[in-house]
Amino acid sequence: MNNRARQHAILPLLLLISTLLLAACGSSESNVDQGNRSGTLHWGNGTEPQSLDPHIATGVPEHHIITALMEGLILKDSETLAPKPGVAESWTISADGRIYTFKLRENARWSNGDPHNAHDYVWSWWRALQPALGNLYAYMYFSIENAQEYYEGTVTDFDQVGVKALDDYRLQVTLSNPTPYFLQLLDHYSLYPVHRATVEKFGAADERGTRWTYEGNNVGNGAFQLLDWKINRRVTVQRNPYYWNTDSVRLNQIVFYPTENVVSEERMFRAGQLHRTSTIPADKIPVYLEAQDSSLHIAPYLGTYFYRINTRVPHLQDKQVRRALAMTIDRETISKSILKAGQIPAYAMTPPGTMGYYPESDLSFDPEAARQLLADAGYPNGEGFPATEILYNTSEGHRKIAVAIQQMWKKYLNIDIKLLNQEWKVYLDSESAGNYEISRAGWIGDYVDPNSFLDMFLCNGGNNRTGWCNAEYDRLIADVAPTVKTHAERLAVFGQAEKILMDELPVIPIYIYTSVNLVNNSVKNYADNILNQPSFTEMYLQAEPQQKRLTEDQH
Amino acid sequence: MTTIDEQGTSLWQDAWIKLSKNYLALFGLAIIGLLCVVSLLTPWIAPYGYEQQNLLLGATSPSAEHWLGTDIFGRDMLTRIMYGGRVSLTVGFIATAVALIIGVLWGAVAGFVGGRIDAVMMRIVDIMYALPFMIFIVLLMVVFGRNILLLFLAIGAVEWLTMARIVRGQVMALRKQEFVEAAHSLGLSQWTIIRRHIIPNTLGPVIVYTTLTIPSVMLLEAFLSFLGLGIQPPQSSWGLLINYGVETMEEYPWLLIFPGVTLSLTLFALNFLGDGLRDALDPRTSKD
Repeated sequence: MNNRARQHAILPLLLLISTLLLAACGSSESNVDQGNRSGTLHWGNGTEPQSLDPHIATGVPEHHIITALMEGLILKDSETLAPKPGVAESWTISADGRIYTFKLRENARWSNGDPHNAHDYVWSWWRALQPALGNLYAYMYFSIENAQEYYEGTVTDFDQVGVKALDDYRLQVTLSNPTPYFLQLLDHYSLYPVHRATVEKFGAADERGTRWTYEGNNVGNGAFQLLDWKINRRVTVQRNPYYWNTDSVRLNQIVFYPTENVVSEERMFRAGQLHRTSTIPADKIPVYLEAQDSSLHIAPYLGTYFYRINTRVPHLQDKQVRRALAMTIDRETISKSILKAGQIPAYAMTPPGTMGYYPESDLSFDPEAARQLLADAGYPNGEGFPATEILYNTSEGHRKIAVAIQQMWKKYLNIDIKLLNQEWKVYLDSESAGNYEISRAGWIGDYVDPNSFLDMFLCNGGNNRTGWCNAEYDRLIADVAPTVKTHAERLAVFGQAEKILMDELPVIPIYIYTSVNLVNNSVKNYADNILNQPSFTEMYLQAEPQQKRLTEDQH
Repeated sequence: MTTIDEQGTSLWQDAWIKLSKNYLALFGLAIIGLLCVVSLLTPWIAPYGYEQQNLLLGATSPSAEHWLGTDIFGRDMLTRIMYGGRVSLTVGFIATAVALIIGVLWGAVAGFVGGRIDAVMMRIVDIMYALPFMIFIVLLMVVFGRNILLLFLAIGAVEWLTMARIVRGQVMALRKQEFVEAAHSLGLSQWTIIRRHIIPNTLGPVIVYTTLTIPSVMLLEAFLSFLGLGIQPPQSSWGLLINYGVETMEEYPWLLIFPGVTLSLTLFALNFLGDGLRDALDPRTSKD
């Protein structure tokens, strides 16, 4: 999913005001203290969600809220990420690995008390595959038999798609090929069910942006339900009494704050306004490390930070140009001097070690060769290279990286690059509409498998967005990889495909993420897994007054 | 016929004489002059390139090589502040000049002519006031593209409203005074009266307001640049430097202090100068 991530900044004025406000709040009880007493988790979510409709959203900030509100058939263990029962209490897999039969819990309910059953899934998945809905994640369904054909219109009868309610509580899914990561997919919000009556009450099933997700309307099947949604201020969810496992949920409320400015967010954390931040300003990391502050969580993160190149733009159609750009980014220096949290420089799209997969890449930092490539492409010494813009979503961290890369390209290739920042939603729209030249992007694995990083660049992948299309790549990822017998063979196919991707370079990988969060020590069962998806159903709060004071004093 | 009258001094000569006795104002003028000269000469005298990075160096505190330290990209702060001054001072002066010209003319005409024309002109001002100014500027940017010159004009085109109101109020008070009546009876055209008698008499408040407008325009520019509408990296301005400085003020205080001091110094200088100018230019204060 798209990672908005990292840092952002706004006006000094607002900062000043917020600092003053925070100072003024000093005497009264902080959010954290109050939350620890009442079981309210204050969660820095980074940005205002683009949508809370699981079949429309594509980002990480949305992910956190949607997983609180909804649940899939399968959950992941928050430590090992192994599949565990969610709405489905058990499942069987046929010997050929193609037919999955899920037994749904009979005590599962929607948050308005309505019964929740297998038909909900059939309808929801039908909805998710309606082309009019514009679901960028539709390809997550393509391992299901005939799902892609249905989405593309070659099959018009949804009955032929491999999803069937055997009875009210048994759902059968037939895949076109054995798909080792299929169970993991079910924990991704794009395969979550939606409440039919609610969706249809506020518009057609395949209508975008209806009011069904809003406060008062939203119905989900997760551990929490939407209490209020104040645009650009907060999203509050409270425990859902109809959730099948509500007795084990220990949080009463979660408040999500869309604080885009990481500097403010860090200050809010220090002032006890937040239990957890979405990230931390890079310049603060050494301070926390030195103070050995246990609230700093740095963990490996299954995600890649990269630049998309719009291959529809004439001067970026030439792969030599793209290669020259990719070869003149000094990733080591960016990681060491700007990011500062041990991020690994990326020379391929898939993070190394994903399910034992280590991508090969002949990409390297080589300004000499890059200049030659650019000259071969008709721009000796950068002469005549058209003005090119890097688009990024407004954020301090993205700006820093863009400024550094802008200068590297100027220095090594002598080309002029402009920077353009847009607010998150506008940026997502520009990118999807192909209205950019080079754009910042981050991709976090939706499940632990190289496929999550590679299948987005299929010609028709909703999250491709670069206009790049390669028949051989499509064949390897869509046709060959799903049908090979062994894991090793599969990885070999991914290796071949990734080699094509890194030869053509519609995307320039920059670094492999690490997740960096501040988490108050009163938050228990906060699991730092490589998807950075701790489970809200497991977390609980227990005050540690001493610890909190320490954090405050250290700065 | 010969006259043996005392040699008359014009308003401006008069003002200069008075200003030159006001040391604080002269100090302000000197600072502003110095900043302008440095800004003009920056491309030749700056110690480094404003976009020249040294990522391995990173943020360092002031030293012999970098008098004001370096930012997180290892760029020399002195250079950045000098180049930033070019943008900030240009925005400050051009945008304020635009606001000044439109505002004074608009307000003077509305106040002097009065009646229906006044009503219509001031309702236009009201409408512009009601228009959320951000949306107005964003619209301008969308229509005309991102262009620094346009940024100046856009800010100026928004900032003149208050000026127009202030001037109108002054003019309303002035137009019934005897010297204006006298000018009327001497047969001067309305335009000449506005130009020769009305505007010079409104200079006091106008100058004070102008000195307030310049800093607010500089900060506005930083705000717009932040939204991606104004200037973009690697270019910078004082407002932007301060914005970035605030973010890391705990780790790298010099990134905030130096641009902050520069901007404050400019504002002080402008205020001293404005104060002196107001005293010097006010035709109502007695000569000597």
